[in-house]
Amino acid sequence: MTHEATSTVVTEVACPLCGHACDDLSVDTAGAALAVVAHGCDRAVSGFARLSAESSAATPRIAGRAASLDEACAEAARLLAASAQPVFGGMALDVSGARGAMELVDQAGGVIDHMNNEFGWRASRVVQDGGGIITTLAEVKNRADLILLVGTDAVSVQPRFFERCVWVKETMFDLQPASRRIVYLGGALDTTPGRSPDGRAPDVFDFDCSRMPEALSVLNALVAQQPVDGDAPLGIALARWQELADALLGAKYSVVVWEGSTFDMSQLDLNVGAIGSLVRRLNVITRCNSLPLAGNDGDLSMAAVHIWQTGYPMRTSYASGAPKFDPLHNGIERLLATGEADALVWLSSLNDLQAPPVTGMPTIVIAPPSLKLASEPQVYIPVATPGMHHTGHFVRTDKVVTLPLQALRKSALPAAGEVAVAIATRMKEVQS
Amino acid sequence: MSVIKLTGGRVIDPANGVDDQVRDLYIRDGRLIAAPDAHDRISAEYNISGRIVMSGAIDMHSHIGGGKVNIAREMLPEDHGGDPVERTDLTRSSCGHAAPGTLAAGYRYAEMGYTAAFEPALLPVNARQAHMEMGDTPMLDTGGYAMLGSDDFLLRMLAAKEDQQAINDYVAWTLHATQTVGIKVVNPGAISAFKFNQRKLDLDEQNAFYGITPREIVKVLSRAVHDLGVAKPLHVHASNLGVPGNVDTTLGTMDAAEGLPVHLTHIQFHSYGTEGERKFSSAAARIAEAINQKKNVSADVGQILFGQTVTASGDNMVQYRNAGHGSPKKSVIMDIECDAGCGVVPFKYKDQNFVNALQWAIGLEIFLMVDDPWRIFLTTDHPNGAPFTTYPHLIKLLMDRSFRSAMLDTINPDARAMSNLAGLDREYSLYEIAIMTRAGPAKLIGLADRGHLAPGAAADIVVYKEDADRERMFEKPELVFKDGELVVRDGRIVKVVRGGTHAVKPEFDIGIEKKIKPYFERFHSMRMNNFKISDDELCECGGGSRLMAHACRKRG
Repeated sequence: MTHEATSTVVTEVACPLCGHACDDLSVDTAGAALAVVAHGCDRAVSGFARLSAESSAATPRIAGRAASLDEACAEAARLLAASAQPVFGGMALDVSGARGAMELVDQAGGVIDHMNNEFGWRASRVVQDGGGIITTLAEVKNRADLILLVGTDAVSVQPRFFERCVWVKETMFDLQPASRRIVYLGGALDTTPGRSPDGRAPDVFDFDCSRMPEALSVLNALVAQQPVDGDAPLGIALARWQELADALLGAKYSVVVWEGSTFDMSQLDLNVGAIGSLVRRLNVITRCNSLPLAGNDGDLSMAAVHIWQTGYPMRTSYASGAPKFDPLHNGIERLLATGEADALVWLSSLNDLQAPPVTGMPTIVIAPPSLKLASEPQVYIPVATPGMHHTGHFVRTDKVVTLPLQALRKSALPAAGEVAVAIATRMKEVQS
Repeated sequence: MSVIKLTGGRVIDPANGVDDQVRDLYIRDGRLIAAPDAHDRISAEYNISGRIVMSGAIDMHSHIGGGKVNIAREMLPEDHGGDPVERTDLTRSSCGHAAPGTLAAGYRYAEMGYTAAFEPALLPVNARQAHMEMGDTPMLDTGGYAMLGSDDFLLRMLAAKEDQQAINDYVAWTLHATQTVGIKVVNPGAISAFKFNQRKLDLDEQNAFYGITPREIVKVLSRAVHDLGVAKPLHVHASNLGVPGNVDTTLGTMDAAEGLPVHLTHIQFHSYGTEGERKFSSAAARIAEAINQKKNVSADVGQILFGQTVTASGDNMVQYRNAGHGSPKKSVIMDIECDAGCGVVPFKYKDQNFVNALQWAIGLEIFLMVDDPWRIFLTTDHPNGAPFTTYPHLIKLLMDRSFRSAMLDTINPDARAMSNLAGLDREYSLYEIAIMTRAGPAKLIGLADRGHLAPGAAADIVVYKEDADRERMFEKPELVFKDGELVVRDGRIVKVVRGGTHAVKPEFDIGIEKKIKPYFERFHSMRMNNFKISDDELCECGGGSRLMAHACRKRG
């Protein structure tokens, strides 16, 4: 179904609610909340409805009492100026929000750590250790003849992955989309979307995903024509593994899809490294690329801005006046648990479901009014959402495409980036 | 109105034929004026007698923004650690040596007297990010060259034998959609070929799927850029980068433009012969001779300097091939959106390594053997040959023969023996340096009010203290003015400003969108309307920076 643009329906809307950033949504702006009327997955439909809903009652609060935006920013600035080591969590922001956050964290001498960064920084470290051979969505759509999903079903994080990249009507090259081979590595995955339009079932290598390092070792060995012990690694006949290795070697353009949060945290580096080895080895004779799925909650938008402005990824401390990157030391969960941090700023404009941790420390929450809080923070500032109330930019899963986000309905609330800059400006006044 | 006066400086302004003449300069409202009128009052006067005055320097080829640069930053925390930029009351904290953060890059460029830099490999599909990164690069005006030539839309047009007019419309549409100032082609057609598992593509070799050759791509794109009236000639990263014997490919690529303006970028990497025991030799003499003869050809050098850096290129075919030489050994290689690709490989150039030492000599040979400083440009292909912060050192190598000889004596002796550098006596003058770093780039890119100091020009002005040590002189100017504001004093930022974005606006038939829109819907991962960057959105990408639009006079 394609909705025509009408006076109240806006078409070709980009969605910031997952890293896939579909940009073909039609959104009706007439009601009390935005209604996705075409091309919306469940997450988009509910997210647009929830985050865009009428919020005129929302007002900043200081210690639970209503305050003006100026007063709230001033109080936040005071708390941050008094803090020796503030930490910034949440960080579900678009580019403009991230820009504001960077200005504030530098001024406050803090540390930024995105809510998804517990696996994000590990994935980043694999790039810092070895690198990777990587592709993007349009290449997958047009070229991928074999898609190997490692421990992920893709759709749990990016619901329209198969619809938009795999089971499409046509490709530019000599490839019938329906003929693609889909292989899942790991059990307990939703493999239904991997069934081809003509009813061909995907290959599923069904094993406990916590054994993924073994599985990737088997594949790496077979692709390298090295011996593998036993007749049935992970309970699956060796012949099936061999056939998969041969298929990867025979494919013209295979794609290995993975997603950090699906791996056991302690195995993430190992698995991503093993995927990198597999892809590198295949490229000696044919083309194969990995496709990391990320970008949910604006994690790649925040990461991109952090890296381009200062050179370092998140988990960099600005406390000394110059950036110091130490991802092991600067995880904010650790800093909060050990008491090394003494104030928490929770910044989010895209995620209204994950509440900040209750820490007992001075806490500043800058978030959509629909976010439910477990306890009243010292300062609360409700903000608008990019792509709904104001324009913005969102970095997609492949780190290459940035989608423009539209302002679809008015909101009296400020943008998260504006609030962060306002607090930073207040801090400069206080400190000068 | 208030006027700033710079009194008694020795002005070097090659665009206006001014070579070391003592003149007073007047700035009003961000621009140079001939003299104040009756309504003006001098609000500030700087006595700069004895000082050398030039317009702000312009880096016409520097990888300062976009996805591959950000990958390079992410990959190299170990390289950033030694180069912190501390927060001050005025400036933000940042860091980085080979792949600095945008904030560090902006401050350091300005501290060296640069007021503009151009990102030469802006992938159309990544244009937003590139502009956002450049928007977060303070102090500088920026612009980009949009990469075409391995994008499937163009290759499909060529395979379908669409006429030049249609290609011109597509090229113009791309310039508008990406808000760029020129067109670049990288290893023409080969980024696409690599996706079809081709591992090399010579100038007359066909892309396996499309049957199109690099020569055809250079021909139609140089024609399109010319016909549209875009000032900046097609920016060509030729085939076979880094391959011994690639000199023939490079000379052939010059000819592929069939006499139309063409710019060969980082030509040092494309000037290699196969002589000698190691089958690697300098072909700088043949390249320089060709540039001297072919007046339609310009080039920037892409000088290498010894030390740690990182190579970041759109040329994923070559970067994949060279990934094993990486130091530290790691690499990111990407296929990108049926549009382009990229490859990032850290690299350490060593003066005792035969190949690296000869590369160093080849770059200098080209500088010294090309006669016309208006057609050769001072670049290190930042960061591929070396970080831009090495420019003062490079200037000293060009201006000081005894320094150059002393350096030559320290490099790998076999490389020294293979180079004719010792016999090249030329020393660049300040006037020639000003051409290569100011007047030349402004003329090449078509920036009428930059790169010179005549009345009407934007007041981007740099004041240097004369110093026989040219490295010391150029690394720390006394004063830098950006659009009439004093932004640097004694090599330190005194005011943070936001530059603008240059973009060209050639005329074209918007009817081309009837072909582009369905292409996006059928094959792409985004809609055409979300691909295009409007003027308003550009300013938002730049965090509020100004669009400096340049009209084009059609020639086709």
